[in-house]
Amino acid sequence: MPGVLVILAFVAALTITGVLSFHDQQGALTLKQYQRVVSDSYYLEYFWRSLRIAFYCTPTTLLLGYPFAYVMARSSSGVRLALTLVLVVQFFTGDVVRVYALILVFGNNGVINRFLLDFGLIDAPIRLLFREAGVAIGLILIPLPLMIFPIYSVLKNIESNLEVAATSLGASPIRTFFHITLPLSLPGVLAGVVLVFLFDLTAYVIPGMLGGGYFKMIANAIQEQALAILDTPFAAAMAMLLLAITLVILYLVHLVGSRLRGAT
Amino acid sequence: MRRPGWFAWSVTIFVVICMIAPMVAVIGVSFNPHAEMTFPTTGFSLKWYANVFQREQFPRSFQLSFWLAVAATLFSLTVGMLCAIALSRFRFFGKGAAVTLLSSPLIVPQVVLGMGFLVLLSQLGIVSSLVGLGILHAVLTLPYTVQVLTASLARFPESLEESAVIHGANRFVAFTRITVPCIKPGIVSAAIFAFVTSFENFTASQFLVWDRTTLPVEIYAYATLETDPTVCAISAMLIMMTAVVVIIAERWIGLEAVTK
Repeated sequence: MPGVLVILAFVAALTITGVLSFHDQQGALTLKQYQRVVSDSYYLEYFWRSLRIAFYCTPTTLLLGYPFAYVMARSSSGVRLALTLVLVVQFFTGDVVRVYALILVFGNNGVINRFLLDFGLIDAPIRLLFREAGVAIGLILIPLPLMIFPIYSVLKNIESNLEVAATSLGASPIRTFFHITLPLSLPGVLAGVVLVFLFDLTAYVIPGMLGGGYFKMIANAIQEQALAILDTPFAAAMAMLLLAITLVILYLVHLVGSRLRGAT
Repeated sequence: MRRPGWFAWSVTIFVVICMIAPMVAVIGVSFNPHAEMTFPTTGFSLKWYANVFQREQFPRSFQLSFWLAVAATLFSLTVGMLCAIALSRFRFFGKGAAVTLLSSPLIVPQVVLGMGFLVLLSQLGIVSSLVGLGILHAVLTLPYTVQVLTASLARFPESLEESAVIHGANRFVAFTRITVPCIKPGIVSAAIFAFVTSFENFTASQFLVWDRTTLPVEIYAYATLETDPTVCAISAMLIMMTAVVVIIAERWIGLEAVTK
């Protein structure tokens, strides 16, 4: 069956990369590559920085995405269709095009800087791109559909009568939200957070285009080692470490997820 | 039904602006007669559109990406359907493992996947990356089709197909005449997902470049080297293409089916 062959190719690709990561450039068996990653602060910095940036961008995406999903789930079908249309077009336009479009808005010559300059609010353009701030803006905005879709699909299945009941029994809208809506939508929030966190952690296009070589993340470092410096065993070791971090995160989420299910 | 409050509405409007403004800027700049990338623009010109077609790398890579996406979609629809039938209707040894394996390419980071295929192909001595790209895109798209089709088949009552068999249809006819039309929305949304996933993949595909490459890799290369609105013109065309596909999908099966 061809399906088996495809999966076999996938497993083989990962296995052979794993095997390669335990070799040196000459083909001798060694742990050197991993020692190099963990002992060299230059490469550890990429891992650390990618984790750190994912840790603060994911909650921001959640804060922007949750209200959007809520409005989508609790408004007239016309509004819902319009919002869905915006989201689907976003989702289907490739990352390269969407990230490129952000440059036109946030660049030194971009819409925001020109607006501020024209109104005399600033004297010189604010440099947003080619540094961490620009990459963070991209990592917050680009994965929004990944956050919104899972939250929306949970919210739309929650009986909105429950919210009406809470309010009519005297709860304020804020209390209703924190005691009824939010707890019931946690599975969707968890799914969205995982998708976005892993997206941020392994992002390539966003740091590549918005960081412009001045601010790289772990995926860029792996690509550079593999395709520019041609040290494939070392790139393989970093790739395996990234994969291991991903799996650990997914396992932790799995634990949290089963606890959530146990609680409800 | 409870209506969303002012806070939820204002965040939503902010997000919509953040999503639409960059696209408007891209389309605006693509008509800019000057070489700067500033918006709003003055004047009107189609010269960057002409430039897209004059530079042969864009039409060439568009063709490659398009046919690659068509092949990946057809392959993963067929194989995905077979897997979905196996997963939704039969019990077999190792079913849990099969489900995990079939969905696992989704969780492996794209750089790791691209890197893995690069190493695998060079070890096997396959030079032309077209084969490699084909297999890579099959791996990338299969999880989506298997998931969507398994979900559709699980919702479809198998008894309808069985009654067709009882009335004399053979298994294959019953499946193609009864089941397939009933799960059409699932099939269409699986096809769209597979096509888009393949067509716009950048991160993994960039590892398998030879003298030709896919459109996103070509756009990325041009955007990091040059600063003129050519990339805006090609992006504007892609955004409009996407919008057309989305509108057709909405007319045909409804967007609700796609977002599920």
